[in-house]
Amino acid sequence: MTQRPDGREEGGFSRRTLLKGAGATAAAGALGGAVEALAQDAGPGLPANASGIAGPGPVPMTLRVNGGERKLDVEPRRTLLDALRGDLDLTGAKRVCDRGTCGACTIWLDGEPVYACMVLAIEAVGSEITTIEGLGTPDAPHPVQTAFRKYDALQCGFCTPGFVMSCAWATKTHGAELDDAGVRASTCGNLCRCGTYPHVIAATLEAAASEEGK
Amino acid sequence: MKAFRYVRPASVAAASELARGGATVKAGGSDLLDRMKERIATPDDVVALNETPADPTLHSIVKDGDVLRVGALVTLAEIAASKEIGALYPALAEASTQAASPQVRHRATLGGNLAQHTRCGYYRLASFPCWKRGDDACPVLADGAVQDEAGIFGNDSCASAHPASLPPVLGAIGARVVIAQGEKLEERPFDALWRAPEQGVEADVALAPGDIIAAVVLPKPATGRTVAYEDVRQKAAFDWALASCAVGVTIVAGKITEASIWLGSVAPTPHRAAAAEKALVGATLSDGAIQKAADAAVADATPLAGNRYKVDLVKVVVRRALLRAAGRDR
Repeated sequence: MTQRPDGREEGGFSRRTLLKGAGATAAAGALGGAVEALAQDAGPGLPANASGIAGPGPVPMTLRVNGGERKLDVEPRRTLLDALRGDLDLTGAKRVCDRGTCGACTIWLDGEPVYACMVLAIEAVGSEITTIEGLGTPDAPHPVQTAFRKYDALQCGFCTPGFVMSCAWATKTHGAELDDAGVRASTCGNLCRCGTYPHVIAATLEAAASEEGK
Repeated sequence: MKAFRYVRPASVAAASELARGGATVKAGGSDLLDRMKERIATPDDVVALNETPADPTLHSIVKDGDVLRVGALVTLAEIAASKEIGALYPALAEASTQAASPQVRHRATLGGNLAQHTRCGYYRLASFPCWKRGDDACPVLADGAVQDEAGIFGNDSCASAHPASLPPVLGAIGARVVIAQGEKLEERPFDALWRAPEQGVEADVALAPGDIIAAVVLPKPATGRTVAYEDVRQKAAFDWALASCAVGVTIVAGKITEASIWLGSVAPTPHRAAAAEKALVGATLSDGAIQKAADAAVADATPLAGNRYKVDLVKVVVRRALLRAAGRDR
């Protein structure tokens, strides 16, 4: 460990804290003593032995995705987006910027839109996760999905799952009150390089005006 | 991202203990995860303050006598939607509504907005040297550097700009910051939260190891006092301000008795325009007084070759904010 200008050691707990701990092994949950006492018990969905200290290796966890429970083992550094795509095979949310800027990975966490690339999988334990796969199916599409098709609100389609999640949140939140400015504000965190914005707005307004879009 | 241990703290006091031991505190993660992905931040231990068990100090907006206490983990979306904040501090609600995108606002927190690191493109990319990260010189100050978004105040060693939009508003409101240190909660004045840049110090908040921003206390708005916020951006939505200004003025019988003016995105920390405040006290909020205040706000500016335009932008946002505070069309 290297010394920082403020005298602390680079990374990790101080020597004092580490010595107070029963074990210094970096494996999951192996730290004991002082640090363990400061951590809370396992969160919902975490096995009891996971305690409040997890990682840096893979951690068993359960995510509530689209109404079902999915078990996986991932490191704390795994983003929710990478876990959904790589571990749970839910590839609807797209990985484009990976920096919370483009909106292609937009999902709902407890019903609100978030960038899945800027949430850790481990911190989504206990939350309701909704992805584009849970919003509608080809046989029973969400009104926003139907309207996107009708209005040709996509070209290459790569940004579309993220847009649909933002637009469906807008219709859910505002219902028939949703107006042009409201769609723009709700989708300001989504980028479309094909420039389909006018059709996205038209589609979303129609979905918002329908009963099912609310 | 480098692998790390993830710790769910039992309480804010526990999180403080862990932070004092060297763990990095995470709230919403919008800023921290971004820096971790770029390997600007490579913590071995991350303490997830946002997973602290329900604690009104951290998570709630609470009326407490004359003041409103807003927990550090309250999200920007929650601030934007709060009826109490909208009624008492509309400028704060407005700045929160305009910040970032819905996706960010549902994760980003009040505390994280205060502790937000600069968006300086050189600081944010590990491939560049950076004085703030401990290197010998600030590349922004070199000839030919991209200086558009750099600061125009206090930029002799580091030309970073503090980009967050809530701090100027909180400064103008006269907010106080609650810092947790172990079991102790301590209220500090807003001015005391910020520190001038130091070589090798990445945070812009003056926090000791183990200090955690736990809440912000908003005083009851005084009679005759108005707070207004204005900013200018390249894009109307989902963009950082190029310059922002929040003003708080108290007007009694037509005369300004007190003024607080804070600027954002123009200095390494939120910047208090003391000369502009002084220029206003005793005056009426006339066009002449507003112009004098706008000029005073930039009197000590030291723009770089690439960001002289920000001097004019600051005058614009100061003028617009004061016009709004006066209840006039900007």
